[in-house]
Amino acid sequence: MCASCSTLCTEPAPMPRRDRNLWFGLCALVLVAPWLLGGGYFINTSNFVAIYALPAIGLCLLVGYCGQLSISHAAFFALGAYASGILSARQGLNPWLALLLAQVLAAVVAVFIGWVVLRLRGHYLAIATLSFTIIIEVLIKELGSLTGGLQGLSGIPRLSLGGWPIASDTALHYLLWTVTLGVLWFALNLAHSRMGRAYRAIKEGDAATALLGVDVSRHKIEVFVLSSLFASLGGSLYAHFVTFVSPAAGSVMFAIDIILVLAFGGFDRLWGAMLGVLALTYLNEYAVTFADYKRVAFGVALVVIMSFFPTGLLAGLVAAGQRLWRKGA
Amino acid sequence: MLAVRDLSMSFAGLRALSGVSFEVREGEVRAVIGPNGAGKTTLFNLITGALVPQAGELSFAGASLLGRGAPAIARLGLARTFQQAQLYRSLSVIENVLLGCHAAGRSGLVACGLGLGRARAEEHAARLWAQECLARVGYAGREDRIASELPLGEQRYVEIARALATRPRLLLLDEPAAGLNDSETDALADLLLQLRQSGLSLLVIEHHMRFVMRVSDRIVVLNFGEKIADGVPAAIRQDPAVIAAYLGNDDGTART
Repeated sequence: MCASCSTLCTEPAPMPRRDRNLWFGLCALVLVAPWLLGGGYFINTSNFVAIYALPAIGLCLLVGYCGQLSISHAAFFALGAYASGILSARQGLNPWLALLLAQVLAAVVAVFIGWVVLRLRGHYLAIATLSFTIIIEVLIKELGSLTGGLQGLSGIPRLSLGGWPIASDTALHYLLWTVTLGVLWFALNLAHSRMGRAYRAIKEGDAATALLGVDVSRHKIEVFVLSSLFASLGGSLYAHFVTFVSPAAGSVMFAIDIILVLAFGGFDRLWGAMLGVLALTYLNEYAVTFADYKRVAFGVALVVIMSFFPTGLLAGLVAAGQRLWRKGA
Repeated sequence: MLAVRDLSMSFAGLRALSGVSFEVREGEVRAVIGPNGAGKTTLFNLITGALVPQAGELSFAGASLLGRGAPAIARLGLARTFQQAQLYRSLSVIENVLLGCHAAGRSGLVACGLGLGRARAEEHAARLWAQECLARVGYAGREDRIASELPLGEQRYVEIARALATRPRLLLLDEPAAGLNDSETDALADLLLQLRQSGLSLLVIEHHMRFVMRVSDRIVVLNFGEKIADGVPAAIRQDPAVIAAYLGNDDGTART
């Protein structure tokens, strides 16, 4: 009986060996990165990679696996960032406690928003979640007494360990990447579990899935909340890392950037999302010199990628490469 | 075990079903036959909760099915297959069957994400059960093949295996023999009789008369949404109303 599943019977692990090896490889890389990158500029940018990976991983599960296109991840990122910032900078709470409460708040909002919008499908869902992002963006700008308005919110305290603020690039590197590696581990497990399978089934057709007794709307809400929480966690870490938040964190442009990350790496590939974040974050750094044209370039890139590689640029190239390889062999 | 009472349904004034009543007993194979457009598939859609009836009563094992959604009805122990197998095309054979096990699963999102031991143990047990279901329908191919690459006949068997994976008490099959040749049809009939032997009740829509006569304990005949006959195969074969409406020629195949 087990001839076809020999690995399974000895080891009923949810995650395939390849993913686990890649994950351990990334852990090793993170461990030695401060020596490799030599601190300063590169390590600082790598810290942003760790932060932006969180909403990207979340969106990958929601869009790539479950097929629910959402443009609300910037809003949840901002919600996490501002809640963390306001609670710690203005209310004087311990940053860790502020971070925790911010996630609770984001979860409550996500349950409500998810419950409302996940009845919608396709374009309607995209537009409803886009509206939510716009509402949050406007609220951030208008509620100046709370959020600092267009000036942004500054003076956000850093997270600390045993009374010592985590301030050096290297310390931040280990903190941020530990969180991101943990979230990635969780997402990889989930993607290869019965839940990930159900998400992919829902993506293909929710009516047939309901006939199998699967509670489709519950699954959709769960993955939406989880995915939004990853985004808000990224936002909170961003706030305590940069010690400043501006309305750009909750902008529609940022929402599109996160989608661009997936378009680059592959919508249903968690490792593709990681590579996408890496590429886009460093690209963004270099694009600073021609900031005015960056939007145009990224917009054109998104259109081109979606036209020729609807499953994502890297994923599409890999698939094309495999086809060529098979033809050659 | 399944009772259908005075079931009526119309679409934009067109009566698909009017006042249909019958029941399925525990452990029997019940067939629904009738010309195209007689309302057979509508009947299945009503029973499984995909459509809500305009009038009538549906109950299964003593519980009313009205007002329950499709997932809840499925969890009561009803499973169905479609005229055209509706597998998840991008998923593998075993993943398709595993989705039949999903609703019975207990491990939640957090247990799955953390990869807890009980989530793994459950996945392992589900996999063994899915393999057993594939074995029950005699699927002999590779279980990691992608569903869209399977020939249609194999897709149908995988779909039956997926339905069996939900541990149903009543299995609804919508034209399972469509497009099969004679020997494949015989093999399918053997399978259905085997399933009945194992205690499962079956409700089967089918056009293929020789197949229906062989597997059914009792047959309901629908015509233009109304029940025109109900009885054992031998009686149905000789019922004048059925012959007039449907059976027609005497070579054992239906006019379509």
